[in-house]
Amino acid sequence: MTANNGLPEEMKPDTLPLVDQQSPSTKPGSNWRTAWIVPTVTVILCLAAWEAAVHLFEVRVYLLPPPSTIAVVMFVEFDLFMSEAVSTVISITTGFLLAVVFGVPVATCMVYWSLFRRAIQAILVTAQVLPKVALAPLFIVWFGFGMLPKVLITFLICFFPIVIDTVIGLNSVRPENLMLIRSMGGNRWQSFWKIRLPSALPSMFGGLKVAVTFAVVGTLVAEFVGSDTGLGYVLMLARGNLESPTVFACIMWLVIIGFVSYYSVELTERVVLRNRGAQRIHQLGAGL
Amino acid sequence: MDRVDDALIKVSSVSKVFRAGTDLVPAIDDLSVDVRRGEFVTMVGPSGCGKTTLMMIIGGLIDPDHGNVAIHGETVRGPFTNLGIVFQNPELLDWRTSLSNIMLQIEIRNLSQRDYTPVALDLLARVGLEDFVDKYPHELSGGMKQRVALCRALVHDPEILLLDEPFGALDALTRDQMNYDLQHIWLEKRKTAILVTHSIDEAVWLSDRVLVMTPRPARIAEDISIDLPRPRSLEMKNSAEFNTYTGRVRALFKDLGVFHDSQ
Repeated sequence: MTANNGLPEEMKPDTLPLVDQQSPSTKPGSNWRTAWIVPTVTVILCLAAWEAAVHLFEVRVYLLPPPSTIAVVMFVEFDLFMSEAVSTVISITTGFLLAVVFGVPVATCMVYWSLFRRAIQAILVTAQVLPKVALAPLFIVWFGFGMLPKVLITFLICFFPIVIDTVIGLNSVRPENLMLIRSMGGNRWQSFWKIRLPSALPSMFGGLKVAVTFAVVGTLVAEFVGSDTGLGYVLMLARGNLESPTVFACIMWLVIIGFVSYYSVELTERVVLRNRGAQRIHQLGAGL
Repeated sequence: MDRVDDALIKVSSVSKVFRAGTDLVPAIDDLSVDVRRGEFVTMVGPSGCGKTTLMMIIGGLIDPDHGNVAIHGETVRGPFTNLGIVFQNPELLDWRTSLSNIMLQIEIRNLSQRDYTPVALDLLARVGLEDFVDKYPHELSGGMKQRVALCRALVHDPEILLLDEPFGALDALTRDQMNYDLQHIWLEKRKTAILVTHSIDEAVWLSDRVLVMTPRPARIAEDISIDLPRPRSLEMKNSAEFNTYTGRVRALFKDLGVFHDSQ
Protein backbone atom coordinates (compact mmCIF):
# COMPACT_ATOMS: atom_id res chain seq x y z
CA MET A 1 0.00 0.00 0.00
CA THR A 2 2.65 2.48 1.02
CA ALA A 3 5.36 3.39 -1.41
CA ASN A 4 8.54 2.79 0.49
CA ASN A 5 11.25 4.67 -1.28
CA GLY A 6 13.52 5.16 1.68
CA LEU A 7 11.88 8.32 2.92
CA PRO A 8 10.27 8.23 6.32
CA GLU A 9 6.51 8.24 5.86
CA GLU A 10 6.08 11.53 7.68
CA MET A 11 8.24 13.43 5.22
CA LYS A 12 6.04 12.66 2.27
CA PRO A 13 2.96 14.86 2.68
CA ASP A 14 4.94 17.88 1.53
CA THR A 15 6.28 16.18 -1.53
CA LEU A 16 3.85 13.54 -2.66
CA PRO A 17 0.15 13.62 -1.83
CA LEU A 18 -0.54 17.34 -1.91
CA VAL A 19 -1.49 18.64 -5.31
CA ASP A 20 1.12 20.88 -6.84
CA GLN A 21 -0.45 24.19 -7.75
CA GLN A 22 2.76 26.03 -8.54
CA SER A 23 3.44 24.99 -12.11
CA PRO A 24 0.24 24.18 -13.97
CA SER A 25 1.90 24.63 -17.35
CA THR A 26 3.91 21.44 -16.90
CA LYS A 27 0.75 19.35 -16.41
CA PRO A 28 -1.00 18.33 -19.63
CA GLY A 29 -4.51 19.69 -19.87
CA SER A 30 -4.46 21.75 -16.71
CA ASN A 31 -3.48 24.90 -18.59
CA TRP A 32 -6.53 26.95 -19.57
CA ARG A 33 -4.93 28.01 -22.84
CA THR A 34 -4.44 24.45 -24.06
CA ALA A 35 -7.82 23.51 -22.56
CA TRP A 36 -9.77 26.15 -24.53
CA ILE A 37 -7.71 27.48 -27.42
CA VAL A 38 -6.64 24.15 -28.91
CA PRO A 39 -10.14 22.68 -29.39
CA THR A 40 -11.53 26.05 -30.57
CA VAL A 41 -8.80 26.45 -33.17
CA THR A 42 -9.28 22.85 -34.33
CA VAL A 43 -13.02 23.36 -34.83
CA ILE A 44 -12.48 26.69 -36.66
CA LEU A 45 -9.91 25.12 -38.98
CA CYS A 46 -12.26 22.23 -39.84
CA LEU A 47 -15.13 24.64 -40.57
CA ALA A 48 -12.84 26.80 -42.75
CA ALA A 49 -11.71 23.75 -44.74
CA TRP A 50 -15.35 22.73 -45.22
CA GLU A 51 -16.34 26.25 -46.35
CA ALA A 52 -13.38 26.42 -48.74
CA ALA A 53 -14.03 22.95 -50.19
CA VAL A 54 -17.72 23.69 -50.86
CA HIS A 55 -16.85 26.91 -52.75
CA LEU A 56 -13.80 25.47 -54.48
CA PHE A 57 -15.58 22.39 -55.87
CA GLU A 58 -18.91 24.21 -56.37
CA VAL A 59 -20.87 21.63 -54.36
CA ARG A 60 -24.65 22.17 -54.71
CA VAL A 61 -26.25 23.50 -51.54
CA TYR A 62 -28.78 20.59 -51.23
CA LEU A 63 -25.86 18.13 -51.20
CA LEU A 64 -23.66 19.91 -48.69
CA PRO A 65 -24.35 23.47 -47.58
CA PRO A 66 -21.34 25.52 -46.42
CA PRO A 67 -21.08 26.28 -42.67
CA SER A 68 -21.82 29.98 -43.31
CA THR A 69 -25.22 29.14 -44.86
CA ILE A 70 -26.01 26.74 -41.99
CA ALA A 71 -25.11 29.42 -39.44
CA VAL A 72 -27.35 31.95 -41.21
CA VAL A 73 -30.30 29.50 -41.15
CA MET A 74 -29.61 28.63 -37.49
CA PHE A 75 -29.97 32.26 -36.45
CA VAL A 76 -32.42 33.66 -39.02
CA GLU A 77 -34.98 31.06 -38.01
CA PHE A 78 -33.88 31.18 -34.39
CA ASP A 79 -37.43 31.53 -33.04
CA LEU A 80 -38.70 28.48 -34.96
CA PHE A 81 -35.80 26.33 -33.77
CA MET A 82 -36.16 27.45 -30.17
CA SER A 83 -39.90 26.80 -30.01
CA GLU A 84 -39.33 23.30 -31.42
CA ALA A 85 -36.26 22.71 -29.23
CA VAL A 86 -38.40 23.23 -26.11
CA SER A 87 -40.27 19.99 -26.76
CA THR A 88 -37.03 18.12 -27.55
CA VAL A 89 -35.26 19.38 -24.42
CA ILE A 90 -38.25 18.58 -22.20
CA SER A 91 -38.32 15.03 -23.55
CA ILE A 92 -34.54 14.54 -23.08
CA THR A 93 -34.56 15.94 -19.55
CA THR A 94 -37.73 14.19 -18.37
CA GLY A 95 -36.72 10.82 -19.86
CA PHE A 96 -33.24 11.05 -18.36
CA LEU A 97 -34.42 12.15 -14.92
CA LEU A 98 -37.11 9.45 -14.83
CA ALA A 99 -34.43 6.87 -15.66
CA VAL A 100 -32.38 8.14 -12.68
CA VAL A 101 -35.40 8.19 -10.37
CA PHE A 102 -36.37 4.61 -11.26
CA GLY A 103 -32.92 3.22 -12.17
CA VAL A 104 -31.16 3.90 -8.86
CA PRO A 105 -33.82 2.20 -6.67
CA VAL A 106 -34.02 -0.75 -9.09
CA ALA A 107 -30.21 -1.12 -8.94
CA THR A 108 -30.35 -0.89 -5.14
CA CYS A 109 -32.96 -3.65 -4.96
CA MET A 110 -30.83 -5.77 -7.32
CA VAL A 111 -27.85 -5.42 -4.98
CA TYR A 112 -29.70 -6.20 -1.75
CA TRP A 113 -32.21 -8.75 -3.03
CA SER A 114 -30.83 -11.56 -5.16
CA LEU A 115 -34.26 -12.98 -6.02
CA PHE A 116 -35.23 -9.62 -7.53
CA ARG A 117 -31.91 -9.46 -9.40
CA ARG A 118 -32.48 -12.88 -10.98
CA ALA A 119 -36.04 -11.97 -11.85
CA ILE A 120 -35.26 -8.68 -13.50
CA GLN A 121 -31.88 -9.30 -15.16
CA ALA A 122 -33.31 -10.99 -18.30
CA ILE A 123 -36.01 -8.34 -18.71
CA LEU A 124 -33.44 -5.59 -18.33
CA VAL A 125 -31.14 -7.02 -21.00
CA THR A 126 -34.07 -7.71 -23.33
CA ALA A 127 -35.25 -4.13 -22.96
CA GLN A 128 -31.79 -2.92 -23.86
CA VAL A 129 -30.96 -5.16 -26.85
CA LEU A 130 -34.43 -4.57 -28.28
CA PRO A 131 -34.00 -1.90 -30.99
CA LYS A 132 -35.74 1.26 -29.85
CA VAL A 133 -36.37 2.27 -33.48
CA ALA A 134 -38.53 -0.83 -33.86
CA LEU A 135 -40.32 -0.11 -30.62
CA ALA A 136 -41.05 3.55 -31.35
CA PRO A 137 -43.89 2.97 -33.90
CA LEU A 138 -45.67 0.73 -31.36
CA PHE A 139 -45.39 3.43 -28.72
CA ILE A 140 -46.97 5.90 -31.17
CA VAL A 141 -49.85 3.46 -31.68
CA TRP A 142 -50.29 3.01 -27.93
CA PHE A 143 -49.66 6.51 -26.64
CA GLY A 144 -50.34 8.85 -29.58
CA PHE A 145 -48.19 11.59 -31.08
CA GLY A 146 -47.61 13.66 -27.96
CA MET A 147 -44.84 13.92 -25.41
CA LEU A 148 -45.46 10.54 -23.73
CA PRO A 149 -43.94 8.17 -26.34
CA LYS A 150 -40.85 10.41 -26.67
CA VAL A 151 -40.28 10.47 -22.92
CA LEU A 152 -40.81 6.71 -22.69
CA ILE A 153 -38.31 5.89 -25.45
CA THR A 154 -35.77 8.25 -23.86
CA PHE A 155 -36.42 6.70 -20.45
CA LEU A 156 -35.93 3.18 -21.83
CA ILE A 157 -32.65 3.98 -23.56
CA CYS A 158 -31.21 5.72 -20.46
CA PHE A 159 -32.37 3.13 -17.94
CA PHE A 160 -29.88 0.36 -18.71
CA PRO A 161 -26.53 2.18 -18.32
CA ILE A 162 -27.77 3.84 -15.14
CA VAL A 163 -28.87 0.55 -13.55
CA ILE A 164 -25.75 -1.37 -14.60
CA ASP A 165 -23.27 1.25 -13.40
CA THR A 166 -25.16 1.82 -10.16
CA VAL A 167 -25.08 -1.93 -9.42
CA ILE A 168 -21.33 -2.01 -10.13
CA GLY A 169 -20.86 1.05 -7.92
CA LEU A 170 -22.90 -0.30 -5.01
CA ASN A 171 -20.95 -3.57 -5.15
CA SER A 172 -17.58 -1.81 -5.24
CA VAL A 173 -17.80 -1.06 -1.51
CA ARG A 174 -14.90 -2.37 0.56
CA PRO A 175 -16.04 -5.26 2.80
CA GLU A 176 -13.88 -3.90 5.62
CA ASN A 177 -15.93 -0.70 5.52
CA LEU A 178 -19.10 -2.73 6.04
CA MET A 179 -17.46 -4.70 8.88
CA LEU A 180 -16.58 -1.38 10.45
CA ILE A 181 -20.21 -0.28 10.29
CA ARG A 182 -21.30 -3.60 11.82
CA SER A 183 -18.84 -3.16 14.68
CA MET A 184 -20.42 0.25 15.28
CA GLY A 185 -23.83 -1.40 15.54
CA GLY A 186 -24.94 0.23 12.29
CA ASN A 187 -27.92 -1.01 10.32
CA ARG A 188 -28.57 -1.54 6.62
CA TRP A 189 -30.02 1.92 6.16
CA GLN A 190 -26.93 3.59 7.65
CA SER A 191 -24.52 1.43 5.69
CA PHE A 192 -26.38 2.34 2.49
CA TRP A 193 -26.41 6.10 3.03
CA LYS A 194 -23.01 6.47 4.67
CA ILE A 195 -20.95 3.87 2.82
CA ARG A 196 -22.52 2.16 -0.17
CA LEU A 197 -24.09 5.11 -1.96
CA PRO A 198 -21.09 7.47 -1.61
CA SER A 199 -18.78 4.62 -2.72
CA ALA A 200 -21.02 4.06 -5.74
CA LEU A 201 -21.06 7.69 -6.93
CA PRO A 202 -17.99 7.61 -9.21
CA SER A 203 -19.30 4.70 -11.27
CA MET A 204 -22.87 6.04 -11.11
CA PHE A 205 -21.66 9.21 -12.79
CA GLY A 206 -20.05 7.05 -15.48
CA GLY A 207 -23.49 5.59 -16.19
CA LEU A 208 -25.17 9.00 -16.08
CA LYS A 209 -22.75 10.42 -18.63
CA VAL A 210 -23.36 7.56 -21.06
CA ALA A 211 -27.13 7.78 -20.43
CA VAL A 212 -27.37 11.51 -21.09
CA THR A 213 -25.84 11.14 -24.55
CA PHE A 214 -28.24 8.24 -25.24
CA ALA A 215 -31.11 10.49 -24.15
CA VAL A 216 -30.57 12.78 -27.13
CA VAL A 217 -30.59 9.78 -29.49
CA GLY A 218 -33.72 8.35 -27.84
CA THR A 219 -35.72 11.55 -28.18
CA LEU A 220 -34.61 12.02 -31.79
CA VAL A 221 -35.60 8.47 -32.73
CA ALA A 222 -39.07 9.04 -31.28
CA GLU A 223 -39.43 12.34 -33.10
CA PHE A 224 -38.37 10.74 -36.39
CA VAL A 225 -40.90 7.95 -36.13
CA GLY A 226 -43.91 9.94 -35.14
CA SER A 227 -44.23 13.35 -33.65
CA ASP A 228 -45.63 16.72 -34.56
CA THR A 229 -43.14 18.80 -32.58
CA GLY A 230 -39.43 18.88 -31.83
CA LEU A 231 -36.19 19.34 -33.72
CA GLY A 232 -36.39 15.75 -35.00
CA TYR A 233 -39.78 16.55 -36.56
CA VAL A 234 -38.40 19.75 -38.21
CA LEU A 235 -35.43 17.72 -39.46
CA MET A 236 -37.72 15.11 -41.08
CA LEU A 237 -39.86 17.80 -42.77
CA ALA A 238 -36.80 19.65 -44.10
CA ARG A 239 -35.26 16.44 -45.39
CA GLY A 240 -38.47 15.67 -47.29
CA ASN A 241 -38.23 19.08 -48.97
CA LEU A 242 -34.48 18.73 -49.67
CA GLU A 243 -33.86 21.82 -47.49
CA SER A 244 -30.38 20.70 -46.55
CA PRO A 245 -29.33 23.91 -44.75
CA THR A 246 -32.32 23.44 -42.38
CA VAL A 247 -31.39 19.78 -41.87
CA PHE A 248 -27.86 20.78 -40.94
CA ALA A 249 -29.11 23.63 -38.76
CA CYS A 250 -31.27 21.10 -36.84
CA ILE A 251 -28.28 18.79 -36.45
CA MET A 252 -26.17 21.67 -35.12
CA TRP A 253 -28.82 22.62 -32.56
CA LEU A 254 -29.02 18.97 -31.47
CA VAL A 255 -25.24 18.88 -31.09
CA ILE A 256 -25.43 21.99 -28.91
CA ILE A 257 -28.20 20.44 -26.79
CA GLY A 258 -26.13 17.25 -26.44
CA PHE A 259 -23.05 19.20 -25.38
CA VAL A 260 -24.93 21.22 -22.79
CA SER A 261 -26.62 18.09 -21.32
CA TYR A 262 -23.35 16.16 -21.15
CA TYR A 263 -21.42 18.97 -19.53
CA SER A 264 -24.22 19.63 -17.04
CA VAL A 265 -23.79 16.06 -15.81
CA GLU A 266 -20.01 16.36 -15.82
CA LEU A 267 -20.13 19.63 -13.91
CA THR A 268 -22.43 18.03 -11.33
CA GLU A 269 -19.95 15.17 -11.06
CA ARG A 270 -17.04 17.54 -10.47
CA VAL A 271 -18.94 19.33 -7.73
CA VAL A 272 -20.14 16.14 -6.03
CA LEU A 273 -16.79 14.31 -6.22
CA ARG A 274 -14.57 17.36 -5.72
CA ASN A 275 -12.74 16.11 -2.62
CA ARG A 276 -11.82 12.62 -3.74
CA GLY A 277 -8.37 13.39 -5.04
CA ALA A 278 -9.08 12.39 -8.65
CA GLN A 279 -6.64 15.01 -9.90
CA ARG A 280 -3.82 13.11 -8.21
CA ILE A 281 -4.01 10.36 -10.81
CA HIS A 282 -3.37 12.95 -13.47
CA GLN A 283 -0.61 14.75 -11.64
CA LEU A 284 1.30 11.86 -10.10
CA GLY A 285 0.76 9.61 -13.10
CA ALA A 286 2.41 12.28 -15.26
CA GLY A 287 0.47 11.25 -18.33
CA LEU A 288 0.92 7.46 -18.03
CA MET B 1 -3.97 -22.36 29.27
CA ASP B 2 -5.01 -21.47 32.77
CA ARG B 3 -8.53 -20.09 33.07
CA VAL B 4 -8.81 -16.88 35.02
CA ASP B 5 -11.96 -15.91 36.82
CA ASP B 6 -11.75 -12.18 36.21
CA ALA B 7 -11.48 -12.64 32.44
CA LEU B 8 -13.21 -9.98 30.33
CA ILE B 9 -13.01 -12.06 27.17
CA LYS B 10 -13.28 -15.85 27.33
CA VAL B 11 -12.63 -17.74 24.11
CA SER B 12 -13.72 -21.35 24.60
CA SER B 13 -12.82 -24.20 22.20
CA VAL B 14 -13.34 -22.11 19.09
CA SER B 15 -12.96 -23.84 15.71
CA LYS B 16 -13.47 -22.42 12.24
CA VAL B 17 -13.20 -24.07 8.83
CA PHE B 18 -13.28 -22.11 5.57
CA ARG B 19 -14.37 -23.48 2.25
CA ALA B 20 -12.04 -22.71 -0.67
CA GLY B 21 -13.72 -24.15 -3.75
CA THR B 22 -14.10 -27.83 -2.89
CA ASP B 23 -11.36 -27.80 -0.26
CA LEU B 24 -11.98 -27.32 3.41
CA VAL B 25 -9.33 -25.16 5.05
CA PRO B 26 -9.27 -25.32 8.83
CA ALA B 27 -8.42 -21.83 10.09
CA ILE B 28 -8.73 -22.29 13.85
CA ASP B 29 -8.69 -25.55 15.77
CA ASP B 30 -10.12 -25.85 19.27
CA LEU B 31 -8.61 -22.63 20.59
CA SER B 32 -9.23 -21.31 24.10
CA VAL B 33 -7.84 -18.20 25.69
CA ASP B 34 -8.81 -15.67 28.34
CA VAL B 35 -8.06 -11.97 28.28
CA ARG B 36 -8.26 -9.92 31.45
CA ARG B 37 -9.68 -6.44 31.64
CA GLY B 38 -7.07 -3.83 30.73
CA GLU B 39 -4.64 -6.36 29.37
CA PHE B 40 -2.64 -5.85 26.16
CA VAL B 41 -2.50 -9.22 24.40
CA THR B 42 -0.77 -9.82 21.08
CA MET B 43 -1.19 -12.74 18.73
CA VAL B 44 1.93 -13.30 16.69
CA GLY B 45 2.15 -15.97 14.06
CA PRO B 46 2.84 -16.80 10.45
CA SER B 47 0.87 -15.23 7.66
CA GLY B 48 -2.53 -16.76 6.97
CA CYS B 49 -2.65 -18.71 10.22
CA GLY B 50 -6.12 -17.57 11.26
CA LYS B 51 -5.22 -14.75 13.64
CA THR B 52 -7.43 -12.26 11.87
CA THR B 53 -10.28 -14.79 11.80
CA LEU B 54 -9.96 -15.26 15.56
CA MET B 55 -10.04 -11.51 16.05
CA MET B 56 -13.18 -11.18 13.93
CA ILE B 57 -14.78 -14.02 15.90
CA ILE B 58 -14.00 -12.20 19.14
CA GLY B 59 -15.65 -9.08 17.70
CA GLY B 60 -18.70 -11.10 16.69
CA LEU B 61 -18.17 -10.26 13.01
CA ILE B 62 -17.61 -13.91 12.01
CA ASP B 63 -19.40 -16.85 13.66
CA PRO B 64 -17.29 -19.77 14.87
CA ASP B 65 -18.21 -23.31 13.72
CA HIS B 66 -17.71 -24.67 17.23
CA GLY B 67 -17.11 -23.15 20.62
CA ASN B 68 -17.96 -19.63 21.67
CA VAL B 69 -16.67 -16.30 22.84
CA ALA B 70 -18.04 -14.69 25.97
CA ILE B 71 -17.47 -11.09 26.96
CA HIS B 72 -18.51 -10.13 30.50
CA GLY B 73 -19.77 -13.70 30.79
CA GLU B 74 -22.26 -13.21 27.95
CA THR B 75 -21.90 -15.25 24.77
CA VAL B 76 -21.21 -13.05 21.76
CA ARG B 77 -23.92 -13.40 19.11
CA GLY B 78 -23.65 -10.92 16.27
CA PRO B 79 -21.34 -7.90 16.34
CA PHE B 80 -20.08 -6.85 19.75
CA THR B 81 -20.26 -3.09 19.57
CA ASN B 82 -18.43 -1.87 22.66
CA LEU B 83 -15.16 -1.99 20.75
CA GLY B 84 -12.98 -0.16 18.28
CA ILE B 85 -11.25 -1.83 15.33
CA VAL B 86 -8.20 -0.82 13.33
CA PHE B 87 -7.60 -2.82 10.15
CA GLN B 88 -4.38 -3.28 8.19
CA ASN B 89 -5.57 -0.69 5.68
CA PRO B 90 -6.83 2.54 7.21
CA GLU B 91 -10.30 2.06 5.62
CA LEU B 92 -10.97 5.78 5.70
CA LEU B 93 -13.77 7.12 3.53
CA ASP B 94 -12.38 9.20 0.64
CA TRP B 95 -15.16 11.75 0.81
CA ARG B 96 -14.72 12.60 4.48
CA THR B 97 -12.09 14.71 6.21
CA SER B 98 -9.97 13.31 9.06
CA LEU B 99 -12.38 14.69 11.64
CA SER B 100 -15.45 13.56 9.75
CA ASN B 101 -14.01 10.06 9.33
CA ILE B 102 -13.58 9.84 13.09
CA MET B 103 -17.07 11.21 13.67
CA LEU B 104 -18.56 8.40 11.54
CA GLN B 105 -18.24 6.29 14.70
CA ILE B 106 -20.40 8.83 16.56
CA GLU B 107 -22.95 9.24 13.74
CA ILE B 108 -23.58 5.52 13.35
CA ARG B 109 -24.01 5.14 17.11
CA ASN B 110 -26.35 8.14 17.24
CA LEU B 111 -24.23 9.83 19.89
CA SER B 112 -24.05 13.59 20.31
CA GLN B 113 -21.86 15.34 17.72
CA ARG B 114 -21.41 18.25 20.09
CA ASP B 115 -20.12 16.10 22.95
CA TYR B 116 -17.72 14.04 20.87
CA THR B 117 -16.22 16.59 18.46
CA PRO B 118 -13.86 17.89 21.18
CA VAL B 119 -12.90 14.28 21.99
CA ALA B 120 -12.06 13.63 18.34
CA LEU B 121 -10.04 16.85 18.07
CA ASP B 122 -8.18 15.99 21.25
CA LEU B 123 -7.30 12.52 19.91
CA LEU B 124 -6.10 14.01 16.61
CA ALA B 125 -3.90 16.45 18.49
CA ARG B 126 -2.50 13.65 20.59
CA VAL B 127 -1.28 11.79 17.52
CA GLY B 128 0.17 14.99 16.05
CA LEU B 129 -2.50 15.65 13.43
CA GLU B 130 -3.92 18.93 14.76
CA ASP B 131 -3.06 20.62 11.44
CA PHE B 132 -4.73 17.89 9.37
CA VAL B 133 -8.22 17.96 10.86
CA ASP B 134 -9.88 19.17 7.65
CA LYS B 135 -7.70 17.24 5.20
CA TYR B 136 -9.08 14.47 3.03
CA PRO B 137 -7.44 11.00 3.03
CA HIS B 138 -5.72 11.62 -0.32
CA GLU B 139 -3.90 14.52 1.29
CA LEU B 140 -2.46 12.33 4.08
CA SER B 141 0.47 9.92 4.17
CA GLY B 142 -0.03 6.23 5.03
CA GLY B 143 1.06 6.73 8.64
CA MET B 144 -1.26 9.72 9.07
CA LYS B 145 -4.22 7.76 7.69
CA GLN B 146 -3.56 4.93 10.13
CA ARG B 147 -3.45 7.45 12.98
CA VAL B 148 -6.85 8.78 11.95
CA ALA B 149 -8.10 5.17 11.90
CA LEU B 150 -6.73 4.70 15.45
CA CYS B 151 -8.55 7.85 16.59
CA ARG B 152 -11.76 6.55 15.01
CA ALA B 153 -11.38 3.32 16.99
CA LEU B 154 -10.98 5.25 20.24
CA VAL B 155 -13.33 8.24 19.99
CA HIS B 156 -16.35 6.50 21.56
CA ASP B 157 -14.24 5.25 24.47
CA PRO B 158 -14.80 1.53 23.82
CA GLU B 159 -14.00 -1.18 26.31
CA ILE B 160 -12.05 -3.32 23.83
CA LEU B 161 -9.59 -2.39 21.09
CA LEU B 162 -9.00 -4.83 18.22
CA LEU B 163 -5.89 -4.07 16.18
CA ASP B 164 -5.50 -6.23 13.09
CA GLU B 165 -1.93 -5.69 11.84
CA PRO B 166 -2.51 -1.95 12.01
CA PHE B 167 1.10 -1.01 11.27
CA GLY B 168 1.92 -3.79 8.80
CA ALA B 169 1.93 -1.51 5.76
CA LEU B 170 4.06 1.23 7.33
CA ASP B 171 7.80 1.76 7.02
CA ALA B 172 10.02 0.93 10.01
CA LEU B 173 10.46 4.50 11.26
CA THR B 174 6.75 5.32 11.18
CA ARG B 175 6.03 1.98 12.76
CA ASP B 176 8.25 2.71 15.78
CA GLN B 177 6.56 6.09 16.18
CA MET B 178 3.11 4.48 15.96
CA ASN B 179 4.14 1.97 18.64
CA TYR B 180 5.11 4.84 20.89
CA ASP B 181 1.82 6.63 20.24
CA LEU B 182 -0.17 3.47 20.84
CA GLN B 183 1.64 2.70 24.12
CA HIS B 184 1.07 6.28 25.25
CA ILE B 185 -2.66 6.16 24.56
CA TRP B 186 -2.99 2.68 26.02
CA LEU B 187 -1.21 3.62 29.26
CA GLU B 188 -3.59 6.52 29.64
CA LYS B 189 -6.84 4.72 28.84
CA ARG B 190 -5.98 1.13 29.78
CA LYS B 191 -8.27 -0.42 27.19
CA THR B 192 -8.32 -4.16 26.83
CA ALA B 193 -6.38 -4.51 23.59
CA ILE B 194 -5.86 -7.43 21.23
CA LEU B 195 -3.23 -6.94 18.57
CA VAL B 196 -2.40 -9.14 15.60
CA THR B 197 1.08 -8.70 14.17
CA HIS B 198 3.86 -10.41 12.25
CA SER B 199 6.53 -8.46 14.04
CA ILE B 200 8.03 -10.27 17.03
CA ASP B 201 9.67 -7.04 18.27
CA GLU B 202 6.42 -5.14 18.10
CA ALA B 203 4.56 -7.94 19.88
CA VAL B 204 7.00 -8.13 22.80
CA TRP B 205 7.47 -4.37 23.10
CA LEU B 206 3.75 -3.52 23.29
CA SER B 207 2.26 -6.46 25.18
CA ASP B 208 1.52 -7.82 28.59
CA ARG B 209 1.10 -11.24 27.00
CA VAL B 210 2.23 -12.65 23.69
CA LEU B 211 0.29 -15.58 22.24
CA VAL B 212 2.54 -17.48 19.86
CA MET B 213 0.32 -19.06 17.20
CA THR B 214 0.96 -22.23 15.23
CA PRO B 215 0.73 -22.33 11.41
CA ARG B 216 -2.80 -23.01 10.15
CA PRO B 217 -5.00 -24.22 11.76
CA ALA B 218 -4.33 -21.68 14.51
CA ARG B 219 -3.68 -22.93 17.98
CA ILE B 220 -1.77 -21.29 20.79
CA ALA B 221 1.73 -22.76 20.94
CA GLU B 222 2.68 -20.73 23.96
CA ASP B 223 1.31 -17.97 26.12
CA ILE B 224 4.24 -15.78 27.22
CA SER B 225 3.83 -13.10 29.90
CA ILE B 226 6.04 -10.10 29.18
CA ASP B 227 7.35 -8.79 32.44
CA LEU B 228 9.01 -5.55 31.37
CA PRO B 229 8.43 -2.22 33.14
CA ARG B 230 6.25 0.46 31.53
CA PRO B 231 6.45 2.92 29.94
CA ARG B 232 8.79 1.07 27.62
CA SER B 233 11.41 2.87 25.55
CA LEU B 234 12.83 1.94 22.18
CA GLU B 235 16.25 1.51 23.83
CA MET B 236 14.74 -1.37 25.73
CA LYS B 237 14.83 -3.35 22.50
CA ASN B 238 18.58 -3.67 23.01
CA SER B 239 18.27 -5.02 26.54
CA ALA B 240 19.02 -8.62 27.49
CA GLU B 241 15.52 -9.19 28.94
CA PHE B 242 13.83 -7.97 25.78
CA ASN B 243 16.00 -10.20 23.63
CA THR B 244 15.32 -13.18 25.86
CA TYR B 245 11.61 -12.79 25.04
CA THR B 246 12.07 -12.25 21.30
CA GLY B 247 14.57 -15.13 21.23
CA ARG B 248 12.03 -17.35 22.93
CA VAL B 249 9.38 -16.52 20.30
CA ARG B 250 11.84 -17.09 17.44
CA ALA B 251 12.90 -20.45 18.93
CA LEU B 252 9.24 -21.46 19.12
CA PHE B 253 8.66 -20.52 15.49
CA LYS B 254 11.69 -22.58 14.53
CA ASP B 255 10.32 -25.57 16.45
CA LEU B 256 6.94 -25.08 14.75
CA GLY B 257 8.58 -25.13 11.34
CA VAL B 258 7.75 -21.48 10.58
CA PHE B 259 11.46 -20.77 10.12
CA HIS B 260 13.65 -23.41 8.55
CA ASP B 261 17.23 -23.56 7.46
CA SER B 262 17.52 -24.29 3.76
CA GLN B 263 20.84 -26.14 4.26
